[in-house]
Amino acid sequence: MSGGPFHSDSEFRAAEFVLGTLPVDERAAMAAELGRDPVAMARVRDWERRLAPLSLAVPDENPPPRLWSAIQQALPGPSALTHPANDNRIAGLAAQVRRWRTAAAGTGLIAAGLALFLALGPRPSEPDARGRYVAVVTSGGDLPALIVSVDTASGTAQVRPVAAKAPDGRSLELWYIGADKSPKTLGLIGSGATRISLPPGTGAGDGLIAVSVEPQGGSPTGQPTGQVVYTGKLIRD
Amino acid sequence: MRDDATLARLLREIAAGDQSALRVLYDLTAPKLFGIVLRIQRDRSLAEDVLQDVFLKVWQAAGSYVPENGRPLPWLCAIARNRAIDGVRRKSEVQGPVREDGEDWLEQLADPRSGEGALLDRDALRTCLGRLDAVQAECVMLAYCEGWSREELARRHDKPVNTIKTWLHRTLASLKGCLEGAR
Repeated sequence: MSGGPFHSDSEFRAAEFVLGTLPVDERAAMAAELGRDPVAMARVRDWERRLAPLSLAVPDENPPPRLWSAIQQALPGPSALTHPANDNRIAGLAAQVRRWRTAAAGTGLIAAGLALFLALGPRPSEPDARGRYVAVVTSGGDLPALIVSVDTASGTAQVRPVAAKAPDGRSLELWYIGADKSPKTLGLIGSGATRISLPPGTGAGDGLIAVSVEPQGGSPTGQPTGQVVYTGKLIRD
Repeated sequence: MRDDATLARLLREIAAGDQSALRVLYDLTAPKLFGIVLRIQRDRSLAEDVLQDVFLKVWQAAGSYVPENGRPLPWLCAIARNRAIDGVRRKSEVQGPVREDGEDWLEQLADPRSGEGALLDRDALRTCLGRLDAVQAECVMLAYCEGWSREELARRHDKPVNTIKTWLHRTLASLKGCLEGAR
C-alpha cells in the first residue's frame, strides 16, 4: 500500500476502527464487514500493526487473583472444547489453507485416499472457452475420482464423481475458494453427475477447488469444518 | 517469558482445548492486557469483567491465530482493546472518570522498560508521532490508549465533532505516510 494520503473512505474507517473512534453503529458495520472483506481486514491489520507499540507500552496492572477462577468457571464444557469457534474467519481460513497443504503433503492425504491433479491439455474445443475451468480429483493416482468443471459464464459447475468415496458416516463436500479467500460450498459430492449453480461471488474463475470430509449431510457451519483432503487450482479449460 | 514462540505455542495448545495452557497464557499476559483494558475502561470492576471476556474470547479464537498476521502479544492486545472499546462505545458500560494523573503516551513510548521486542517499530512510531502537530497527535493517543470518543475529544478541545474527525483523519494519514517512509 502506498504512503501518504488515504485512498478511500474505507481506509479512514479501518484506521478509526482500530483507533476506536468510530461511532457505535459504524463500528458494528465495520466489524461485520471485516468478516467478509479481506481488503478491509488487511487494512485493519496494518493499522493494528502500526499502532501496536502504543499498546505494548501501556504499563502492566495486576488483575485480582480471583479473576482466574472466574474465567475458569465461565469456560464452556468439554463438548465445546473440541471445536473452538473461529472468530476471525479470514485468519481462520489462512490457517485452514495451511492445514490443508500439510494434510495434502502428509498422512492425512493417504488416510483419505484422495489425491488431486490438474487436468492439463486441451479438451474438445468449445464455441467460447472463456470462463471455463476444470480440476480433476483422483483416487490414489490413476483413476479419476472426481471431475469438476466450472463455467463462470453460465455460473454453473459440473461435478462428475467417478470413484470418490466418503469415509463411513461422512460426506465429502466440495468448495470453491475465489479471490476473496472465502470458501463457498459447491455442495456435497454424490454418486452421480450433478450440475450445480455457482454461489454468488464465484464469477472470476481462477480459484481453488477443495474437498473436505464433513459430517453426514454437509458442513454444519457453511465453512469447511473437517479435514480437507485436497485442494487444487482450477485451470482454464 | 512471554516471547513469541512461547505465546504461539500456548495459543496452539489452547486451540486444541488445553485449559492448563490458557492458565499459563493468563499468567504471562493478564497484567499487560489488564493494563490496556484499565486505561480504556477506568472502572476497575467493569475492567475485570472485560478482562474475563477477553480470555474467554481467546479460548474460543486461539485457533484463528496465524503467525503470518503478526506477533502473538499484539494479537492478544488487539482483542483486549477491541473488547474494551466495544463496551465503552456501546455505552453498555459506563467508562468511569478520567484519571487525574494523565499519562504522557509519547513519553511512555520512549521508556526503554516499556514495550517488548520490535524496538524499531516503537521508535518509528514515536518519531512519527513526535513530528505531528502535538495537539492532534495527542488526540490519536488519547483515543487509542484511553478510549476517548470523537465527542469527548471535541469537548476537551472545544471544537465541533467534525473538526475532530478531520484532525484524526489528517493525523492518521500523515502517520501512515511517515511510518511507511521509515520502513
